[in-house]
Amino acid sequence: MKVTGRKDLEKLKDKGTASLFPDRVRIMVGMATCCIVKGADKVMSAIAEEVKRQGVRASVVPVGCTGLCYKEPTVEVVQPGKPKITYGDITLDRVPQLIEAIAKGMVKKEWALYQTEREEQLVQGGYHAYGRGTPKELKGIPKHSDVPFFRKQRKIILRNSGCINPEKIEEYIARGGYSSLLKTVTQMKPKEVIDEVTKAGLRGRSGGGFPAGIKWLSCSKAEGDGKYVICNVSEGDPGIGMHKSLLESDPHSILEGLIIAAYAIGAKEGYIYISSGYKLGVQRMEKAVKDARACGFLGRNILHSGFDFSVKVKEGGGAYVCGEETALIKSIEGDWGEPRQRPPFPAVSGLWGKPTVINNVETLANVPVIMTKGAKWFSSIGSQKSKGTKVFSLIGEVNRVGLVEVPLGITLKEIIYDIGGGIPRGKAFKAVQMGGPSGGCIPKRLSNLPVDYETLAQAGSAMSSGGLIVMDEKTCMVDVVKYFLTFLEGESCGKCTPCRVGVRRMREVLTDISRGKGKKEDLELLEKMARLIKEGAICNLGKTAPNPFLSMLKYFKDEYLAHIQKKKCPAGVCTS
Amino acid sequence: MESFDRSMIGGVLKKHGNDGASLIAILRDVQGECGYLPKEVLQYVSQKLDVPLSKIFCVATFFSSFSLEPRGKNVVSVCSGTACHVKHGGGVADKLTRQLKLSADGKTTADRAFTLEKVRCMGCCSVAPAVRVNQDTYDHVTQDAVNEILKKYGKS
Amino acid sequence: MVTVKINGKEVQVPKGATVLQAARKLDIHIPTLCYHEALTPYGGCRLCVVAVTRDGATQIVSSCNYEVAEGLEIKTETDVVLDIRKFVIELLLAEAPDAKILKELAQEMGVKPLKRFKPRNELCIACGQCIRACKEIVGVSAIDFAQRGYEKKAASPFFERSQDCIGCGTCYTICPTGAITLKDIAEGEKALLPDGSEVVGPARIIDNWKVGLELKRCKQCGEPFAPQFQLEYFTKKVKLPEDFFEVCVECRTL
Repeated sequence: MKVTGRKDLEKLKDKGTASLFPDRVRIMVGMATCCIVKGADKVMSAIAEEVKRQGVRASVVPVGCTGLCYKEPTVEVVQPGKPKITYGDITLDRVPQLIEAIAKGMVKKEWALYQTEREEQLVQGGYHAYGRGTPKELKGIPKHSDVPFFRKQRKIILRNSGCINPEKIEEYIARGGYSSLLKTVTQMKPKEVIDEVTKAGLRGRSGGGFPAGIKWLSCSKAEGDGKYVICNVSEGDPGIGMHKSLLESDPHSILEGLIIAAYAIGAKEGYIYISSGYKLGVQRMEKAVKDARACGFLGRNILHSGFDFSVKVKEGGGAYVCGEETALIKSIEGDWGEPRQRPPFPAVSGLWGKPTVINNVETLANVPVIMTKGAKWFSSIGSQKSKGTKVFSLIGEVNRVGLVEVPLGITLKEIIYDIGGGIPRGKAFKAVQMGGPSGGCIPKRLSNLPVDYETLAQAGSAMSSGGLIVMDEKTCMVDVVKYFLTFLEGESCGKCTPCRVGVRRMREVLTDISRGKGKKEDLELLEKMARLIKEGAICNLGKTAPNPFLSMLKYFKDEYLAHIQKKKCPAGVCTS
Repeated sequence: MESFDRSMIGGVLKKHGNDGASLIAILRDVQGECGYLPKEVLQYVSQKLDVPLSKIFCVATFFSSFSLEPRGKNVVSVCSGTACHVKHGGGVADKLTRQLKLSADGKTTADRAFTLEKVRCMGCCSVAPAVRVNQDTYDHVTQDAVNEILKKYGKS
Repeated sequence: MVTVKINGKEVQVPKGATVLQAARKLDIHIPTLCYHEALTPYGGCRLCVVAVTRDGATQIVSSCNYEVAEGLEIKTETDVVLDIRKFVIELLLAEAPDAKILKELAQEMGVKPLKRFKPRNELCIACGQCIRACKEIVGVSAIDFAQRGYEKKAASPFFERSQDCIGCGTCYTICPTGAITLKDIAEGEKALLPDGSEVVGPARIIDNWKVGLELKRCKQCGEPFAPQFQLEYFTKKVKLPEDFFEVCVECRTL
């Protein structure tokens, strides 16, 4: 139904609320790619069958990623009169018993991870209260607020992930979705939107964290009709999936942010550019676009504001370099991902030569929240120069692997130990790699550092898109650098000499070192190459390629020396 | 010379408005229909779109998702993501390469039964190392498990 | 007109001009490799880098494709700039140690080959001049880049015999490293193309694009003078009379 104003939105909101909190049991199964890989789709089918077979009055709903990757498949159950119970490790064989318990109106304690008594409704404010249950049936089940994995997290970007069916727009609306869009286009002028985002201190959530408001302002002032906004969903870092997760779990949060961005800068057309290989994400986003269009949040005269905006979903062909703005633009234009020098910046001359704003997925997902809760609220979270939260993919040698969202300024130690539960099997924590192939490592002794843009950059690392790979004593730093350089060597577009040839030659030397064939002048040579590739390459793929090496050299030089001088790999990884 | 279904390719082109800017999407759909990008089809696409064949070959060889060679009956994707690497996924990839008797560059076995690809990240970081064969995903794969997995798809 | 300062000297250039063009107006030498006045700049080799200061911030940029702005300050030989240029030549020397132009540039800049790198002996340095020339000057686009990264090079589609090459030889003329080979073979002479097929002269052979094009003989003097395919192409393209190219250029002028 087409939404023309607040009343219509309320109607959809009621529909969504009835779906979210029905008068029957609601069983939610995490169905993002990482969950499906662990068999969640089979679990969901089995649950639907069991529910039918046992005659339980329940809705079985696919939801997105809950972040609890280490406990997948997860199933959340809302029974009238009880708190929401989250169950983990619900494999196929456990399904019949779980449904049996639900059929009897009981809680299956053995598999319960935690209970949630009330849920924050971030956008519209307040809380939704579930039932209280009985002390007896809930005994021993920790409260959500007490769960170490969640205690220090703050869900703003992931506000709906794992709570809503990502393919039901009314559930998104029930949690305050599109109310920000309504407020923005009917009550605010584009310049006011830009000011609010600038005051909030929202920084781009990939790369160096350029202030979003400044980018929007520069584009809105640029000459030229026919401006574009593009949402960049092509993280590409090998081994992290926050963008994929958000895309699959809450596509509307991204879309709403994009529409507001378009309104702010005066763009009539936009693209959502998704890396190749994100099939489920593309599916969910295309559904979201279709539903948003049907509701009138896209198209002509959006919400009777006179603002027109349409969006196309474009899938990449498979190239990490297309995460870089100018290469991304070339890809949308139908060509190979060729980066170019800046200036001119895309905000002034971008897609088809027109002023273009390109924003990261996470950046845009913040926008609806900022518009409703205000810049002051947003800027009260985080640290002095790094406002808000960031989603990290906490992986590697850590007990609790998953997607976590934390206020910027939190320390690495807190993330790894308090949230992540520390290093498994009693191994020693060695370092954490942040920023993937563009970043660097932070050694254990610096783990009290706050996680924000400036601190990480100073330490030789980077926020980038948020990979947080925990390494123990069995990880070889030479091997890790060789791995990242090998990745970048394969992803270099090949345009400029410093990256095309330089990265390849750096990797060759690293390979020699890892095989015990390093020469004593190698470190000096690599340092020189690193410096000149950083200075000489055209785009950030090349410019940041030497970062892992430089950072490892800074903190783990002895490992390099051991490989070169003693032909030994202290971690026992490299073989000659 | 292999023949191809002109009307099917025509349909793909029409779906994308015969627009050269949609080249990547067109190539993806062609690959979806044909299993790979056959030379004759690309020549036809070049003609119909009025885009030089050299440009089409450039784009097809630039992006990783395109294959100019027919792929094997079973596509084995090894995750080469960081989490999988840290959990020694590299060894699994090497074992697969050896078991399938592929050269370093070779991707498809001579009998076209298997194609081995290294993919960037399958999102299975919590169950690394991960390997996917067609629609089936295997988690926590060790080098020893490789033979068992391949056997399921007819590898003796 | 826009005024910029290069190495302390002011110069006025039209709006839209590049830093390289401004430098040349002042006779300031900046080495180049992938640049050619007749082609749109590519900015890939990174040999022509300079340091530009704009609004108080300094950046390293390629001068061949950096558009001038009022008040821009450019330095063409800072330490970083010179280091990058030397590094580019060091890297390319390891790629193509026998390329004359690279040896000349190395000498000019005082660069010696880095023994640490095993030479590759690949003359194509992915500068793209042949591709841009074939597209912008000749209008045929028979070739383009293939692959990405280290393996990137100019190629004919599928690395097979180009169906569109008209054998004009512009690519061969323009290639800075001599990576493209072109030769005309005489009547009866045989040549083997890289794909194994045989060509009998008079013909033009361009190995890189696996092309062997029969040369047309002049009706008057009997000498082979241009590929038949090329003449057919121009006849059709410019809508010339069918017999326009029956006689070669020399005979026509005499």
